[in-house]
Amino acid sequence: MHDDKNKPVLELCAVSKAYANRHVLSNLSYTLAAGEYVAIMGDSGVGKSTLLNLIAGLDAPDSGDIRLNGLALTGDDDEAATALRRRFLGFIFQAFHVLPHLTLLQNVSLPLLLNGLPLERAAVMLASVGLQGREQDFPFQLSGGELQRVAIARALVHRPRLILADEPTGNLDPDTAEEILQLIRAEIKANAASAILVTHSQAAAATADKILLLDRYGLAPLTMERTP
Amino acid sequence: MRCFWILLLWLFFQGGMVAAPPEFSPVAPGRVLQFPQDFGAHPEFRIEWWYVTGWLETEEGHPLGFQVTFFRTATYADTDNPSRFSPRQLIVAHVALSDPATGQLVHDQKIRREGFDLVYARTGDTDIRLDDWVFVREAGGSYRAQIDAHNLRLQLTLAPTQPLMLQGDQGYSRRGPETGQASYYYSAPHLSVIGTIHRNGKTANVTGTAWLDHEWSHELIGPGAVGWDWVGANLDDGSAWVVFQIRDRTGGVFWAYAALRDASGQMTIYAPEEVHFYPERFWRSARTQATYPVATRIRTGEIEWQLVPLMDDQELDARASIGEVYWEGAVTIVREGKPVGRGYLEMTGYLQPISR
Amino acid sequence: MSAALLSRWLLLGEWRAHRWQCLVAILAIMLGVALGFSVHLINTAAVSEFSAATKSLSGVSDLTVQATQATFDESLYPQLMQTDGVAAASPVLEIMAGVPAKADGRDDPALKILGLDVFRAATITPDLLGIPAEDQPFDTLSEDAIFLSPAAMEWLAVRPGDALQLSLGTKTVSLRVAGGLARAHAGQRLAVMDVGAAQWHFDHVGLLSRIELKLRPGVQHAAFKEALARELGAAYLLMEGRDQDARIRNMSRAYRVNLNILAMVALLTGAFLIFSGQVLSIIRRRAQFALLRVLGMTRRQILQQILLEGGLLGVLGSLLGLLLGYAMAAGALRFYGADLGAGFFTSLAPSLPLNPLAALLFFAMGVGVTILGSLAPAWEAAHTHPGPALKSGSEFVALRALRMPWLAGLCLLLAGVLTQLPPVFELPVFGYLAVVLLLVGGIAALPYLASLSFSTLLRGVDAQGRGVLRTLILARLSNASSLAAIALGGVLASFSLMVAMAIMVASFRVSVDNWLAHVLPADIYVRTMIHQDLRGLTPAEQQMIAALGGIERIDFMRSKSLLLDSARPAVTLIARPIDTRDPANTLPMTSDALPPAQMAATAIPIWVSEAMVDLYAFETGKKVTLPLTDPPQTFLVAGIWRDYGRQFGAIQMQLSDYRALTGDQHVSDAALWLASGMTAEQLITALDDLPFGTSLALSQSNQIRQRSLELFDRSFAITYLLELIAIGVGLLGVAASFSAQTLTRIKEFGMLRHIGLSRRQIRRMLGWEGGLLAGFGITLGFVLGVAISLILIFIVNPQSFHWTMQLYMPWTWLSLMALAMLGAAAMTAFAAGRRAVAGNVTQAVKEDW
Repeated sequence: MHDDKNKPVLELCAVSKAYANRHVLSNLSYTLAAGEYVAIMGDSGVGKSTLLNLIAGLDAPDSGDIRLNGLALTGDDDEAATALRRRFLGFIFQAFHVLPHLTLLQNVSLPLLLNGLPLERAAVMLASVGLQGREQDFPFQLSGGELQRVAIARALVHRPRLILADEPTGNLDPDTAEEILQLIRAEIKANAASAILVTHSQAAAATADKILLLDRYGLAPLTMERTP
Repeated sequence: MRCFWILLLWLFFQGGMVAAPPEFSPVAPGRVLQFPQDFGAHPEFRIEWWYVTGWLETEEGHPLGFQVTFFRTATYADTDNPSRFSPRQLIVAHVALSDPATGQLVHDQKIRREGFDLVYARTGDTDIRLDDWVFVREAGGSYRAQIDAHNLRLQLTLAPTQPLMLQGDQGYSRRGPETGQASYYYSAPHLSVIGTIHRNGKTANVTGTAWLDHEWSHELIGPGAVGWDWVGANLDDGSAWVVFQIRDRTGGVFWAYAALRDASGQMTIYAPEEVHFYPERFWRSARTQATYPVATRIRTGEIEWQLVPLMDDQELDARASIGEVYWEGAVTIVREGKPVGRGYLEMTGYLQPISR
Repeated sequence: MSAALLSRWLLLGEWRAHRWQCLVAILAIMLGVALGFSVHLINTAAVSEFSAATKSLSGVSDLTVQATQATFDESLYPQLMQTDGVAAASPVLEIMAGVPAKADGRDDPALKILGLDVFRAATITPDLLGIPAEDQPFDTLSEDAIFLSPAAMEWLAVRPGDALQLSLGTKTVSLRVAGGLARAHAGQRLAVMDVGAAQWHFDHVGLLSRIELKLRPGVQHAAFKEALARELGAAYLLMEGRDQDARIRNMSRAYRVNLNILAMVALLTGAFLIFSGQVLSIIRRRAQFALLRVLGMTRRQILQQILLEGGLLGVLGSLLGLLLGYAMAAGALRFYGADLGAGFFTSLAPSLPLNPLAALLFFAMGVGVTILGSLAPAWEAAHTHPGPALKSGSEFVALRALRMPWLAGLCLLLAGVLTQLPPVFELPVFGYLAVVLLLVGGIAALPYLASLSFSTLLRGVDAQGRGVLRTLILARLSNASSLAAIALGGVLASFSLMVAMAIMVASFRVSVDNWLAHVLPADIYVRTMIHQDLRGLTPAEQQMIAALGGIERIDFMRSKSLLLDSARPAVTLIARPIDTRDPANTLPMTSDALPPAQMAATAIPIWVSEAMVDLYAFETGKKVTLPLTDPPQTFLVAGIWRDYGRQFGAIQMQLSDYRALTGDQHVSDAALWLASGMTAEQLITALDDLPFGTSLALSQSNQIRQRSLELFDRSFAITYLLELIAIGVGLLGVAASFSAQTLTRIKEFGMLRHIGLSRRQIRRMLGWEGGLLAGFGITLGFVLGVAISLILIFIVNPQSFHWTMQLYMPWTWLSLMALAMLGAAAMTAFAAGRRAVAGNVTQAVKEDW
């Protein structure tokens, strides 16, 4: 699927972004290697969501370059950004965001449809996240954990190179959260995808390969003991 | 015996209750025709017609038959009606041209109520007008016919070359066994015609010979009659010959008449029993399915005449306008195998009896 | 393929979940299209039918020669026949004969009889020839024969051979039905007889109504017409087919255009409803659209998806609307007649033509309106930032984009300017435009006004410092006023139109009532069955009426029609005794009349209706010529009076002047005042006993008044119907908006329940919210409605019908309507709240959409 697996998935080169004269990100650089799963932690308002939006092409940096799979994201061209996002990215949100009037199978099929891919993998993914036999259910019939499983299936169904997960367990109880984090990790690895997990939770961050701390000086690996 | 069937219908027409019906003069023997008064109309009689038929020749020598007819009929319109539109007198005109080159009859007709100086048949002398169709006897005694039909324009001058031919008993012409079944009837044979015919965008100068009938009467046809055959012919030797028979329901003869006037003016009149029609060849109209004896042998007294039509199809299908179909056409008169003159033959009541 | 599949999934998912809203949207479009389409169908059917029927009376005529008066001397006929270029001329005498058998004292049944010369008519109007029985071929010339169209035969219940009694003035004529017509226009009541017989029987000897001319091929029509007009002078009018068409169209144009515009307004109301529905639906789904954007849907795809949704609703609604419209038109034609009871097209039964072009036009309008209504919110949804939009509560941001204060100001300002402009082609185009602008401006201003008034209220409540429920309600209403405004848009539009119509109709009715009281001062009115120009009451008959005992005063009146302009319907000339010193004693004057002192001694005064001023510029003090005599006489316009009876103009003059000028001693009507001690019944009996009594129509003024008002109500029946439909659409809109909004707030209610509000309290809160919002909408709608009614009364009516009226407010009716709307709105809100709180509380909080 990918011509060279060793090419970096994401390159951030001196990315800066300001909102109303408040510098959120300044001169941020980072390169995410293929297959790498990192967690980003940081205080509220430090720019975690902004960073995700920039990577997703939903927002454009004031300066600097963002390359997804070696392709430059230019915020000005919404069509191109949308195409890149559709193809290479998968999203998992804190609030699940599952379309209420579509069945689970239809929800998971959305990325396949948008990319014009065969739909068979949707059922496979649903089964893989443990929702076999519930393809025709509607979201209101599901619990929070189950909804997030649907979201995970949706995020990975079209074999994206990079998964962006924004507090995926923020709305879940600790037991379910643990379950979901393990599932995310397992699925990412199984699909050979890279992932960025944004979270406040040490426990959540610990499921990643590497933890990065975002502060006003930039992104830096957190030198910290791994929680047991 | 000239007629326009529409008038027949009119004769029997008595529309509802009329408070003050008009009164008409009967036809009685003994009246001496007075000219020029009797050239004019006789509105006190119910029906009257001026009927011109003849043969024409174009400058190229093509023969044509023509017919120009004006009828007048008094109606039963209430004489109390003060309206100038009251239809007291109707004038009907008919024009037809037979052209063997096309094999068909070109014809047109008009019917109008008299009035407003647009339509009239004047008394005193022949002076008839129907909008822009005119038939008038001019100062010199010649007739002028001017017809502006939708498909045909005629402008003819007809000059008399012989004295009038008073039919029957000095113009009292019987047409049935009963007294009163008669008309006043004179003819002007051997009229010399000159004029122009305009049709299909072309104007042709024509000359020829024509026959005029003027007849007025109270009643037209007796009960039991279904139709008639009439011939009027100008013979080459200067004679004038007229013959008619009225047929009854049984196929027999209801009445018949014939007269031959030679060039010197000697008149021979034949009694009904001396006149015989022998049909020899029939023509069936594809339009109407009516069958006409287009070639006929006629015997008047000792003389045998043969009628040869200019063309077979000289049928007028006027069902749409006046409800009748008849045959009216130019014929050559043959006697002892030789053509001796030309005339017109009229045959009616062959599709169905002339309706009451 | 996959894009289409995705599109279908989203569409079906949405519709499955919001059936009710979809249904309302479809209904709104359907009603709008149905109304517009049916009114259009009825109008075209009626006009084309009328036009075709009138044209069939002229056949293939190139030119119709007519006099300014109803008839002219027949000597023109031979003159025209002999004019160069004339191929054929057909004289026509048209008689409106009374039908005693059909007279029932209420209606004035008349049979149109054409007197024709069958031989002349054959070439020009062959369709109008009588078809006699086979054995009576000359009945077409017969004096006692009359030929009837199938519709006339059916109406009169006669068959060939039957006798038919007709009347003209006080004279009765008995004719024999001799047959049918060659090809009468379907449904047209018409009789044909010989022109000579018609002249004689109906006392029109020497007179004709018109002459149809056929010109020779190659004759230049325009040049011929001009030369002939010069030769004939002002007393005659020459009309080509299109002139007649113009006259027919002019006759009912104002009425038709007004109806059409009412229907368009209904469609506009539908558009507002669609707009508010779409806005609410899209705002509700902002987060969903944001997600789809994040997942990789392009802006264009989102836009397409939303427009597709709206467009499909539009297509469905428009198709249903066309069907319903056709059915409504068919029903209306069947039950009300072609003019919907307004009286423009009598004795016709039009069929309903299927016009694919018009259907397509209305279909396109329905779909277009829907797509337009969806466009703004769709654009906003496609171009919003998906990041923030994914968070809840962001809808208020979106609504801010829909706030257009400058638009409101501009619309209202422009509306004010437009009311000052004159009519275009005699139609109040700018007046109607002003109405539309008022509506749009009012709706655009709604959010501001709502926010302003509710926050004021809120401050008042805060100052008192109690009532959490009240604070909650007012806080929401003042802060979320845009949302509220959208919900109210449709209601506002329909309610204000309803108010406007109610005020206009009430004002009109009161004005007509007052006017009737003024123009019917006498106790008893006498007229012959049919107004005819030459018959009526003879001098001898007038003597006999005047000689009856018990009459205090008697006024005779002569009415006559005058054709002043071949492109317009004839005006009515009424000659009667008028108090020259103070004409207001006789006529409902609109302004001061010219006092006799200011008139030259030789001047002949006339008093004209308002329409004469608008249509012919007959101003007070102006000298005008009227073709009443030959040569035409000059008259002085001495005053203007109000006339609701004759939209095309009427002129009044002294009967003595009329008689001196024309020598015509006949009269058409008589007004009788009872002497004391005499009852109306006694006098009526005495009149009935006159030798010509049976042919008189006698009515008491209160009966005429009652009948006139009944007619008035009947002609406004369609307006009432439109109003009811507008209310229905408005209420549907309220219901849909409230339930949609309530559903979007399920989470909010869940939270409120968690913090301790009872279900009853939430329901009450919702009821109050709905009631307050509706109250606000109704107040604003009332203000807008009054403004619109002022435009209708003082601009639209004078400009299209040429009459003025006084303003009258039907307070009872208005309050009832307002209360009904208010109740309905509160009820809907309450019902929606019931549904909202019926669900699972915990579920509600968890739901994040």
